[in-house]
Amino acid sequence: MSYGRYGRPALKNSVDVQLQTAFTDSNWNTVIRLADKRFKTLKDPYYEAIRIAAESQLDGTSERCTALIAIDELVKSKAVPDYDTLELLEWAARDYLYDTEYAETLGPLRARWVKANPKSKFAVKCLQSCLEYWDLVSAQQIATTLDKAFANSGDRQYMFWSITLTYLLSVSPQCSEASKKVYSLLVVKQLERAADITENAEKVESKDRGLLQEEEISLYYRVMLSHGSKEDFISRMQSPKLGPLAQLKEGRKDLFYQALNAYESWGEWDRIYDLCRQALRLGLDGMTPTFSVCDYKVWKKFALAASKSKDQETALGEVQSILKEFIALKTNTAMYKKNIALALLDTAFRQPVVPGSSGNDSGVTPRVIQIGLYLDSYFDKLSAFDDVKDFVAELSFEEVKGLMEEVLPKMLEESEKSSQVILKSLICKLRYLLTTCTQTLSHNPSVVDGQEQDKPYQCRLCSTLTSLPCESCLRSVVTEAAQIYQQIVDDSELLAAIPRLDKDPRIDLALVMGNSILKLSGLHPRTSDVAPAPLRDVNPSLFLQAVLVLDTQLKVTPSDVALRLLLAQLYLLLGCASYAYQIWTPLEVKRTIQDSLSPLFFDRISSLSPGLFTGTRPLMEPLRSYYNNSLHSSCPLRIWDAFSSGSYSSILEMTEFDSKLRRSCTLMMSIVEERRATRAFGGKIECEIGDLALTENIDDTTTLLNKTDYGSFVNLESPHGPPIQEFLRIGPELSNERAHLSFLSEQYLDLIHHKPPKDHRPYKPSEAALKERAYTFETLSQLNNSLTSFIHRPTTPAALTSPEATYYTIISLLSAAVLTALSTTRADPYPSETMSVITSSIRIAFTGLRARFTSSSSSSSSSTNSTTGVDETFYSLTDMHTLSHVRETALAMRHSAAFVQAWNDRELARDRSGKSTLHKDGLAELKALDAMAAKTITEVKGHIQKLKEQLGGGGWLDKMLDWTFGGAEGTTEGEAGETAKVRKAVEDVVGGREGAEEWVGKVVESWGQGVKGWGLVRME
Amino acid sequence: MANFRQFRPDDLNKFSKCNLDPFTETYELGFYLQYHAKWPSLFQVAEDQHGNIIGYIMGKLESSPDYYKFSEHYLPWHAHITAVTVAPEARRLGIGKMLTEQLEAAADANDAWFVDLFVRSTNHKAIQFYKSMGYSIFRTVKDYYGDHSSDPTKSSEDAYDMRKPMKRDVKKEHIREDGEKFEVDPSDVW
Repeated sequence: MSYGRYGRPALKNSVDVQLQTAFTDSNWNTVIRLADKRFKTLKDPYYEAIRIAAESQLDGTSERCTALIAIDELVKSKAVPDYDTLELLEWAARDYLYDTEYAETLGPLRARWVKANPKSKFAVKCLQSCLEYWDLVSAQQIATTLDKAFANSGDRQYMFWSITLTYLLSVSPQCSEASKKVYSLLVVKQLERAADITENAEKVESKDRGLLQEEEISLYYRVMLSHGSKEDFISRMQSPKLGPLAQLKEGRKDLFYQALNAYESWGEWDRIYDLCRQALRLGLDGMTPTFSVCDYKVWKKFALAASKSKDQETALGEVQSILKEFIALKTNTAMYKKNIALALLDTAFRQPVVPGSSGNDSGVTPRVIQIGLYLDSYFDKLSAFDDVKDFVAELSFEEVKGLMEEVLPKMLEESEKSSQVILKSLICKLRYLLTTCTQTLSHNPSVVDGQEQDKPYQCRLCSTLTSLPCESCLRSVVTEAAQIYQQIVDDSELLAAIPRLDKDPRIDLALVMGNSILKLSGLHPRTSDVAPAPLRDVNPSLFLQAVLVLDTQLKVTPSDVALRLLLAQLYLLLGCASYAYQIWTPLEVKRTIQDSLSPLFFDRISSLSPGLFTGTRPLMEPLRSYYNNSLHSSCPLRIWDAFSSGSYSSILEMTEFDSKLRRSCTLMMSIVEERRATRAFGGKIECEIGDLALTENIDDTTTLLNKTDYGSFVNLESPHGPPIQEFLRIGPELSNERAHLSFLSEQYLDLIHHKPPKDHRPYKPSEAALKERAYTFETLSQLNNSLTSFIHRPTTPAALTSPEATYYTIISLLSAAVLTALSTTRADPYPSETMSVITSSIRIAFTGLRARFTSSSSSSSSSTNSTTGVDETFYSLTDMHTLSHVRETALAMRHSAAFVQAWNDRELARDRSGKSTLHKDGLAELKALDAMAAKTITEVKGHIQKLKEQLGGGGWLDKMLDWTFGGAEGTTEGEAGETAKVRKAVEDVVGGREGAEEWVGKVVESWGQGVKGWGLVRME
Repeated sequence: MANFRQFRPDDLNKFSKCNLDPFTETYELGFYLQYHAKWPSLFQVAEDQHGNIIGYIMGKLESSPDYYKFSEHYLPWHAHITAVTVAPEARRLGIGKMLTEQLEAAADANDAWFVDLFVRSTNHKAIQFYKSMGYSIFRTVKDYYGDHSSDPTKSSEDAYDMRKPMKRDVKKEHIREDGEKFEVDPSDVW
């Protein structure tokens, strides 16, 4: 039989044509009749299986279960089943057989069959079937049987299938802790035995049970690393046959890396030094291809290990000597030359720093000279800044001066015009970097001449009293970057040279300007739940200027990915989600890269702009279909390909990857965001979140993983501070804590929104009510425990925004309030103290959230804030996240109260005596919460209406230009001259106020679209 | 700066530098995993110091099905380059060349007769690149692509099937002179 998992099996050739035809044509009633007839005549149980398989295709519930019942009976019978019967029944039960059931039924039956028929060609099919259901226990048993049956056949595959599956079982939750230990020991012994055979044999033949292929040895390394002791691993790595050096000679680089990484994890620096030295020598001697050893990683580890050596001088001398030999090689490609140049730089930084070693006070030390030499060769490469960034951040202040005031200016002098602008833009980036490095600051005494000083530092570069970063330096960076930008724009020769360059220097200059102005605006990372709304404590004018500069550059260079990513984030902060989406869409984040990149746009999107979900194509559809396609089976995608190809390391990696994908925070984000948007527009949620196939294995103990890829952001920040992406988010990034809280909250909402189907009439209403009661109490209790536990984790505050923290806290409290109200009938003593604590906590938390929202909604939107220059409309438009959580929280309170009231009404209808109705005080407390929430919902509606009116009014062009650049005169009262210079620099780059008009139109239009979407959101 | 190694599935979470580039296609997960599962040594990546993938090559080893054996278009055991890409910031450093060399080494280790690939006949830069690495045009596949990269009025474009002989092909039996003149239909290409 040849078919896929869901393909219909062909019947045995011995089956008559009439039955075959009926089966092929899905004439199930005919099949049942004919099969039954044949069974009675021929007494062949196979026909009984055909009948059962056909019966399982009928619509009736009992008929559909016949295959499952038959499978159960086979399991109980202990007899060896017929293979074709198994195939038929597995197909017949395909839609009803869960993986756990498979592991208890068909899996063991398949294993039983293979044990009885180990040499049958169908044995491998049985293994494949068990793997498709990810039944590792049965799969391992089958593989072991096959290995024994073919031990002397020379077919090595069975042996390594068995070992691989034993290993997978030893780390799988399918296995008990005690069994895990046994399997771990077993797999180590099996591989040690195989390794010993290889060690002792003169030559390993394919029929031997030793290690031969790279994949087999890789499996050996991985298992020894995972389950063996450090001492055993190190001892085995000394092997002249299986050790990493011997393998490297065979071109097996991954094994060399595995050993190197293991040594590093144990801090075995002497071993790393020896291994790298010997490997690089192999490369020099031509005993292994250069690409096997010449990676930067090898050089870096080699230099680091040398710096940790007891005889550091000799060791580093050896590094340099080998480096020189590689430099002399003529076969080096550009990439290897660059790696070697970086290795020289790295080695310079590993040398002990001797004060005054430069021989003068200029700060031009060997380290600075080496940076200069590197930049001399690579300053025009796109990656130049990233390559030297960490080294520059490590320099002392004197060295910084040496680099910035001697080395780089000298390079500038010696460069041609087009090179000069590239170098100048690199210098701007380095100057920005230095504003994020602490060595450029010295502590300022907190009190000088009896006067308290508000600036804790003095900048050593510009002597200004400052806080971190130095604002004066940032302003200089902006004006300087703008000057260079203008120089390029005004010079046709330079403009013509741009296409020949690695990167348009204008992009770098715009990024430097944008980043500097963002810092000047006061934008900072939101890493705790007490931080105010993102733009509440920044200078709006500077923030808008930064966005404008970057947006202007995007028009010039629309294909630049880093600019797009940065702007998409900034527009989300600015409340312009629809415009952010326009910027995001051309990035074409689709298929496989969605899991790592979608959070950059979609995280919290339903709270920012639910209107985006009303487009023609469901917003989350691509993500949903990616997860459904990739995780439709519990077996890792393409795993059988890896088994059949003998790719054992791929099997382990794919299994690990699959496990991580199932625990992806992005997956949870996509589900929750879509559900929130669906609810917002009154749509029907088809399935409770806990019943989705994608969440079925997620419980409180599951660690959900954030795998967001920030690799394409241009990060000009020092390695000692937070990376740029942390400045740009609405709040903390995706996390295990937030993902769990959102999952649990959705489960709570599912519970209180649940309505039995209208035609549902239980046979025994009282019994059904009791069951429902038990289920509800149990669920509420579990949810409350889980929510409380996650909220009180010490890591949780840093994972949430303030509105999120309040929302999840209130959901947790609501679950407790509802549970208390439902479990207190009017005859019970009322737990007034408990209930009072819960409801007053809800009130306090909700009042805090409401205050955050009403502070902006109640202020006169049109009155301009004298400090910031913008009116409250700006803050409202840029903080829809808070409004969204006010709405969600208020509705949760209202729906909880309605749920309790409906429960009470049902109890009253069921039992007219009123004995089972709820205590009136409990009902009253929830009603009070409902009233409070209802009032707030009215305020939310009014707030949205007001925003709509504000945006509908005229004068937005002037207003926005004033917000961005200051008043009509272009200055505001008391504005420092330096700030005016920044504004002037921005105006120069964007073409003045006129140049910004189109941009203003886009921003205001996007705000309008966002508010329009909010106008469609249901408030009940 | 770069390190070269075999692809690991976790690398898919670090693909942005390559795959956000508009010239790099993003496939379904199963496509990448199939290559990793079946031909792990022919799926190589270059990574930067932060673990970001700045280049990768995907290849496979195969021959035409047996029933094709007597066809003039039968392909013996060979390696095929399915995709090769280098992130914009890592271009002009020879990373594409190094990735291709590593795939060729894997092809030799697997006793392949040759390495082949398809390239748009108008992609002169790529054709030149492969020629510099010892590849030559073996045949022209007429209207292989369903669109045209530079002329929107055309609905198709030819492909060049380019080849480089491996060590096994001592007599250079699997390459030919003036291959561009040897035209075949897409249906002849397996």
